[in-house]
Amino acid sequence: MQATPPAQGSSGPIEDTRIYLIEDDPTILHFVQQTLLLRPHWRLIGQAGSLAQARQEALLCDANVFLVDLGLPDGRGEDVLRLLARHQPDAELLVFTVFGEESRLVGALEAGATGYVLKGCSGEQLIEAIEQIRDGGAPISPLLARLLLKQFRAVQDSLPDFPPSDLVGEVLLSERETDVLKLVAKGYVNKEIAHKLGISPATVGTHIKNLYRKLAVHSRVQVVRAAQERGLL
Amino acid sequence: MRPVLRPLQALARVPAYLWAAVLVVGMLVLLALVTRVGQMPGAHVINRAELLVINTTAAQAVALPYVWHNERRDWSGQATYRLRLPAALGDAPLDDGLGVLLPRAGVHYRVQFNGHEVAAECWRRGPGYCDAGTHAHFVALPQALMAPVWADNRIDIQLQGQSLRISGLSPVWVGPRDTLNARYRWLRWWQVDLTWMVTASAFMMGLLSLLIWVRTTERLFGLLGGGLLVLTVRLWLSTPIFVPGPFPLWDYVHKLSFTWYCGFVYLFMSELFDFRQGIVRRLVVAMMALGPFWLAMLEWTANYQLYRLWTGVIVLVCVAALLAVIHRARWGMNVNQRMMVVVGLAVMVTGLRDFLVVQMGLRGDVDIRWMTPGSLVLMFAMGWVLVRRTAVAMEQVARHNTELARKVREREQELHAVFERLQSVESQRVLEAERRRLTRDMHDGLGSQLVQTLNMVRSSGQRIESEAVASMLHHALDELRLTLDSLEPMDGDLPTILGTLRQRVGPALQAAGIELVWQVEEVPAVPGLEARGVMHLFRCLQEVFANVVKHAHATRVTVRTWEEGGRIGLSVADNGVGLGSMPDAVFQGGGRGIGNIRLRAAEIGATVRFSSAQPGTCVSFMFDTRAVSDAQRPDFV
Repeated sequence: MQATPPAQGSSGPIEDTRIYLIEDDPTILHFVQQTLLLRPHWRLIGQAGSLAQARQEALLCDANVFLVDLGLPDGRGEDVLRLLARHQPDAELLVFTVFGEESRLVGALEAGATGYVLKGCSGEQLIEAIEQIRDGGAPISPLLARLLLKQFRAVQDSLPDFPPSDLVGEVLLSERETDVLKLVAKGYVNKEIAHKLGISPATVGTHIKNLYRKLAVHSRVQVVRAAQERGLL
Repeated sequence: MRPVLRPLQALARVPAYLWAAVLVVGMLVLLALVTRVGQMPGAHVINRAELLVINTTAAQAVALPYVWHNERRDWSGQATYRLRLPAALGDAPLDDGLGVLLPRAGVHYRVQFNGHEVAAECWRRGPGYCDAGTHAHFVALPQALMAPVWADNRIDIQLQGQSLRISGLSPVWVGPRDTLNARYRWLRWWQVDLTWMVTASAFMMGLLSLLIWVRTTERLFGLLGGGLLVLTVRLWLSTPIFVPGPFPLWDYVHKLSFTWYCGFVYLFMSELFDFRQGIVRRLVVAMMALGPFWLAMLEWTANYQLYRLWTGVIVLVCVAALLAVIHRARWGMNVNQRMMVVVGLAVMVTGLRDFLVVQMGLRGDVDIRWMTPGSLVLMFAMGWVLVRRTAVAMEQVARHNTELARKVREREQELHAVFERLQSVESQRVLEAERRRLTRDMHDGLGSQLVQTLNMVRSSGQRIESEAVASMLHHALDELRLTLDSLEPMDGDLPTILGTLRQRVGPALQAAGIELVWQVEEVPAVPGLEARGVMHLFRCLQEVFANVVKHAHATRVTVRTWEEGGRIGLSVADNGVGLGSMPDAVFQGGGRGIGNIRLRAAEIGATVRFSSAQPGTCVSFMFDTRAVSDAQRPDFV
């Protein structure tokens, strides 16, 4: 994972960071609590150890950052992400993962995640990841970039020859976003990409975050299309 | 329905040749009934005539039938048969007038009654093929031309000669016009209408047989088709027609068609009876080949003896063929062969009857020949045999197809089973290889890291350095992540593989104060870099970066990719102390040094080269874009 320098804020000032943790491992809860000591004005406003609890509490809470474990004892973290993306559209959804397997991360991003952070990272790294995502950036890896390029190519192929223009803007990659993804896939970091494309590193982060949003939209479009094909809509 | 169907089903089980026997016997009985010598009330037959041949000295009295060529020995000239009306006719005057029936008169004839022409056929139509002798003729005698004295009435029948055609007159009937006309229509049906029917049937069946022959290339159909078409020509020229052109040419065609018909029928039979070789067959083929020349010579010389000789040859060959059939019958016959024997015998009976009645004076209607309906039956019998053979062949084809489909299905199932077994074996092999690779990676990477951590914790006693333990566990976690990274689908994409590795080694280089210069360009996919290959490349590069960090004293390291002449290059160059200044253990092939890198590089089909970067060291990997087969890979564990 590479860090993205601060860019534009997303939901209020960064000092007003309210975190909700969805994780069944008490050591992680302890780790998060210890880490927040580094940022006294940030608050951990709640914690759920299961999917059921998250459904009851997280959807109604006032957090603007959710840390979500993908492997919950009673369900999949992707389901939580999907619910949160619908009920908490302005919140940042960070996936908490041990290994960061890109194949699974794509599924999480499609469900609505806006970033990820590796379990086992240091407290500083967690703070950095939260700040990055609150400032409009997003983490990405070369392999994830490669998978996303394939994913978006598949989306483009599945669209009709003359899709509605609003759908194109919402679902397909722009030329600049494609350039960014290609460079990430080749192992370049944000700073190097910014230098090559003549833009700021923060803009690179913004592009990446946009990609994630489009991926989630794409996922929703797919669901709608499947429903239409089955005559449900 | 069942009471009705049962007898029908029982009848259907009777062999076809028995059915045919019943039918032909029925036909012969019917023929015998309809060709009895009938009575013509009031009619008289004239058996004597006064013959006057032109350019001869005197008239002579002859008994009919009489062939006047027997006297001349050539084909030219004319002859007049003068007939006197029977005195008995004059005693009872007829209300409906007198008529004359000429059963046979030809080849060209003209009838004069008391010096006035009352009928003619083929008399003055100019050059062309025409034979009035093939059928009967009816001539009405006008009342107005009657002589006042009955005894003075005379009928002159003039005949013209025609090369190679027998010319003469058969007994003539004179009597009531209506009675003779009815008899004439009856004879015409047998002699003309029936012949036309046989001709049309032969033509249609011949055409059909030839079409089937073209499609199936089965000789039997070709022989039948050929035989029936030449029979069509033969019959067509035996009907009352006029064909323009030289008479000898059409006469040649007429005679040749008979020769070939006999030949085709025999060849058809020999094919049907499966005696394809033998002297008779060779005789028949020789007859068919010689026929055109012999008959051409006949037309050229106009020597009728040649034709008699040729007819004798045909008869001999046919008798030989008949004997061959009888000989063949000793080994038994199938239903088709029996069918042909039955019908063939019936046709022979019709020929024998005609011979006995016409030549030997046996009682019967001399003007009606049984051979014509006999040949029609023979033709349909041959067609029936062919239809049956075709049906049997189609049934066989259908059976073979079913059998073939069953075998193909069985083979497909066997192949499917073999393929599944192979697939299972291959899956097991791949799984085993992956298991060994993961075991090795766990052993070399994560395992050794955990062992080191464990040893460190043990040796620390009560004073555990948590920072050091955390660092080592972090390293172990990185090792595990590296192994998992190698399992991600990267499809030989070298830049992505390098970028993934960069995430793991980048922080270490940064911590060591070494600047990483990334000059990775897009290159084609490297075929050998699947999960196992990726891990080998990770290990190689880990080794190279570890050497840079530990031994090179470098401040900068550059990673570069490029494509060159169908090969893909990857280099890691530092600006450190260079090869010569590094410890021997690194580059002398021992332990985790160059030897390990070379071995892993070979396993992914890459060549590796260590060179001086002036200053520093450059390690280059060159990948071949051709796929690396498993057989080429060393069993590296």
